[in-house]
Amino acid sequence: MEGTNNEEEAYLSLQRSGFIPDYIHIFDLNSGRKNLLDYDVLLIPGGFSAGDYIRAGAIFAARLRAYIRDLQKFNDLNRVILGICNGFQVLSELGMLPDTGNKMERSMVLAVNESNRFECRYTYFNYTSRNKIFESAFRDRIMQVPVAHLEGRVLFKNENILDEVLQNDQILFKYTNPDGTGSGYPWNPNGSVMDIAGISNENGNVIGLMPHPERVYYNFQMMPDGHVHEKGTGEYFFKAIYNYTKKLFD
Amino acid sequence: MIELFNILDADDDNLKKMGNSLGLSLDEMIVLKNYFSGLKRNPEDIEIQAIAQAWSEHSCYKSSKIYLKRYFSGLKSPYTILTMEDDAAVVSFNEDYAYVVKMESHNHPSAVEPYGGAATGVGGIIRDVLCMGAQPVALIDSLYFGNPENTSGILTERFIINRVVAGIRDYGNRVGIPTVAGSVDFDDSYNTIPLVNAGCIGIVKKDKIVRSRVEKENDILIVCGGRTGRDGIHGVNFASKTLNENDSENRNAVQLGNPIIKEPLIHAILEINDLGIIDGMKDLGGGGFSSAVSELLYAGGLSGIINLDNVLLKDANMEPWEIWVSESQERMLLAMEEKNLKLADEIFKKWGIEYSVIGRTVKSDNLIITYKGKKILDMNLKFLTSGPVYARDYRPVSNNKSDIAIREPENYEKFIRDFISRPNICSRFNIVRQYDFTVRGCTITKPFTGFPNHETHSDASIIKPLENSMSGLSITSGSRGKIVSIDAYNGTMWVLAEAYKNTISSGSMPHSIIDALNFGNPENPETMFKFKESVRAISDFCRYMDLPLVSGNVSFYNQSKYGEIKPTPNILMIGIMDNIVKRITPDLKSTNSGLYVIGNIINTLAGSEYSEMFNAEYSYIPPVNLNDLKILMELLKNNREIINSAHDVSQGGLIMALLEMAFGGSIGIDADLSQIDGKLNEKLFSELGTAIVIEVKNGMEKAFEEKFKSVNPVRLGKTINNKIIIKNLGKVVINEEIDNLRHIWEHGLDKYI
Repeated sequence: MEGTNNEEEAYLSLQRSGFIPDYIHIFDLNSGRKNLLDYDVLLIPGGFSAGDYIRAGAIFAARLRAYIRDLQKFNDLNRVILGICNGFQVLSELGMLPDTGNKMERSMVLAVNESNRFECRYTYFNYTSRNKIFESAFRDRIMQVPVAHLEGRVLFKNENILDEVLQNDQILFKYTNPDGTGSGYPWNPNGSVMDIAGISNENGNVIGLMPHPERVYYNFQMMPDGHVHEKGTGEYFFKAIYNYTKKLFD
Repeated sequence: MIELFNILDADDDNLKKMGNSLGLSLDEMIVLKNYFSGLKRNPEDIEIQAIAQAWSEHSCYKSSKIYLKRYFSGLKSPYTILTMEDDAAVVSFNEDYAYVVKMESHNHPSAVEPYGGAATGVGGIIRDVLCMGAQPVALIDSLYFGNPENTSGILTERFIINRVVAGIRDYGNRVGIPTVAGSVDFDDSYNTIPLVNAGCIGIVKKDKIVRSRVEKENDILIVCGGRTGRDGIHGVNFASKTLNENDSENRNAVQLGNPIIKEPLIHAILEINDLGIIDGMKDLGGGGFSSAVSELLYAGGLSGIINLDNVLLKDANMEPWEIWVSESQERMLLAMEEKNLKLADEIFKKWGIEYSVIGRTVKSDNLIITYKGKKILDMNLKFLTSGPVYARDYRPVSNNKSDIAIREPENYEKFIRDFISRPNICSRFNIVRQYDFTVRGCTITKPFTGFPNHETHSDASIIKPLENSMSGLSITSGSRGKIVSIDAYNGTMWVLAEAYKNTISSGSMPHSIIDALNFGNPENPETMFKFKESVRAISDFCRYMDLPLVSGNVSFYNQSKYGEIKPTPNILMIGIMDNIVKRITPDLKSTNSGLYVIGNIINTLAGSEYSEMFNAEYSYIPPVNLNDLKILMELLKNNREIINSAHDVSQGGLIMALLEMAFGGSIGIDADLSQIDGKLNEKLFSELGTAIVIEVKNGMEKAFEEKFKSVNPVRLGKTINNKIIIKNLGKVVINEEIDNLRHIWEHGLDKYI
């Protein structure tokens, strides 16, 4: 929708990893020109939908709510719904993340960064889950990723939600320093609780993250940090989703 | 309010008064009186307003045109496609694609309303690139602020700095175009009158380039995007005079930007353009319809009939002349055949973009505007758009300052600590991290480079604009008012030389030059002289270096009650590289590699930050050795494989070049400056010369010395772990941990932003 602006690099990353991507504008859904269930993966890219003047992602979520049944069905079919940055904000507004207990209730918020400013920087995340999609590609890896957001600080409605998220192994990625020995600002650029960079739903197929793997698909898009990066973080990330999706339809 | 201008009966006094309210001179009013006497009628208010904006300095370059023409004619290259003709320049990128580039000042609006002024500066420059049919891919901002401690204006400098940065951030980030390059400078002469120079680069398929002119008769004219309102009335007129303290009413002249209308507008325009049905396109910027419609038609040798009733308004009660000159944002003007409207309509609807057809092109000499069934403007289009041309007086600047030798600091180590925290020298993280410089995923060399969260400044940023090509464009932009103010010709040469050095140090080849010339009052002969000298330098540089000057912008009247700004010719240089994998960055790459300086460091502190600290004044700027620059470019291009990193010596001198190379990671420096000529303060702090510092790959030192022997390679030492050690003639100048120095440099702006 208007203000979404990371769609090109998202499109390219999907394409590079093997998908045949298509843009769906919210107007395409309204007019019936396109139908969510005709697709195998749904990616809600970053940006500033409707300007984020109210609360990041709130208006986009309100408009998508008209298609909540389709989204639920998509989810029930185990297909991947991925929200990056503003897309993560949209999924949390919709109650699709963390969605503990499958109640589709809004139970988290991506609050304004602790620094109270837009943060454009490179950081690292490590994989902290046993998610079926990312397990083989990400096990024990620390990866470089860029972030660029004002509202990315994960806060849950209450402690119980966080407990359930932990219980259900829903924390996918945590911000870390490069050697995995600690975090804190600026590695955790927004002050997220437990350094959370990305989470999934209980089933592991609805995924939200603030960092932008789609901006580092190739190694030449990364910051030179003295390590040889054979591939960009994005290639591992999107190939993992492609392989999972392919299996789903085999 | 209807203003009646009875110019037929007015005497010179009255004409002068009327002229004052319109920003026109007496001579210009007399020309008008003669024109309407010939028609045997008085002008309608819309006619007078149309003239006032078309003849403003901002729109018709009446003070600068004569010099721009004299010096800038013919600065083209075989690879330039459109230069100095349309709304933005078009330059060949590869066989199929071209890049589009433009830079413009938005100084006056940013002085009265820093947030809105800076934001719409970005918005406007994006439209300039979009209207050539190009996808915008990168934004550039060169900013010049007053002394951050100054509080003498209506707004504090701190406020101006924060709001200008916020305006650029909020517009650029929301529209989703990365802000990848630029510069930030501080000087007392910009107190209360900041300079905001915004640039944009786009990429377009060569067969999809759209001209800023329409040559087809009976085409319809469409305006799309934002509605027309009272925001931004008379913007060009107030940008063409000196700002006064009580100019708060000027705030109405600053437009309101809306990036969330712009973002889908960009999609819609590019999709319509893909169909190949746009015959001509302009953005609505300064002067609104008045400029855009008149210029689109006149450039194509046509005229038009416009019906103002069809313009979609924000406020139904607008006067027709207000509609005509409103500078409301996010609007584009398209010409196409009527039969193609159906196709465009579908795309506008898909993106939720409002539009209306406001008129059509006709073969005639006169532009006609109707409103509520009445003809309210009927004027010869050539007369309306041409505007006057002035050959303003100029006079060489009398300069009787005598250069004095500056004393040396007693304790260099302590002095360097103070030096690296100065606003002009310290890191730009607090500003640039607020800009999204990675969106679109095509920024390869970012504004910072090195270990994440421990980066250093890059020389030039590099973008890779196409998915299917490894070629890249390098971007660097800036100016050096301090140096130019001493000698406008040689000073401007050094600004160009610095852009050139930034480009070649990043592994790229200089390809095109774009200027944004910011000066004081053109009615001051000394200012006019500096302007002329600056333009002459750009011309000489381009001719000698075989580089095209592809687009430019002039901003005069940058003056406050404290005086005029230092002359600030901002240079944006675009470089090209066949494969972005070959890029060079300044962060040191490994320990135990040889450190060299090549080129020369001139033994002068003229125009330097160091001289500023001692309040020393200079009258002489040495010339640039352009031939040496060319040789350096060839050598760097041909010997990429033996170079680990490179950084040019510029603002802050050799000391900053060395420190910044070490600040990008944990690799330090052990250097001895004894082999360099001059006094220690000149070696460390001179900002003039062709010098570039090179980290040579371990084991390749002999080969390097051999290959670079024509540019006087001096071995300074080698790279080491974690420390910075600099010695001179047996004495230690500084010996310190990298992180201790970097910390001071990193936090230099914390007090202000």
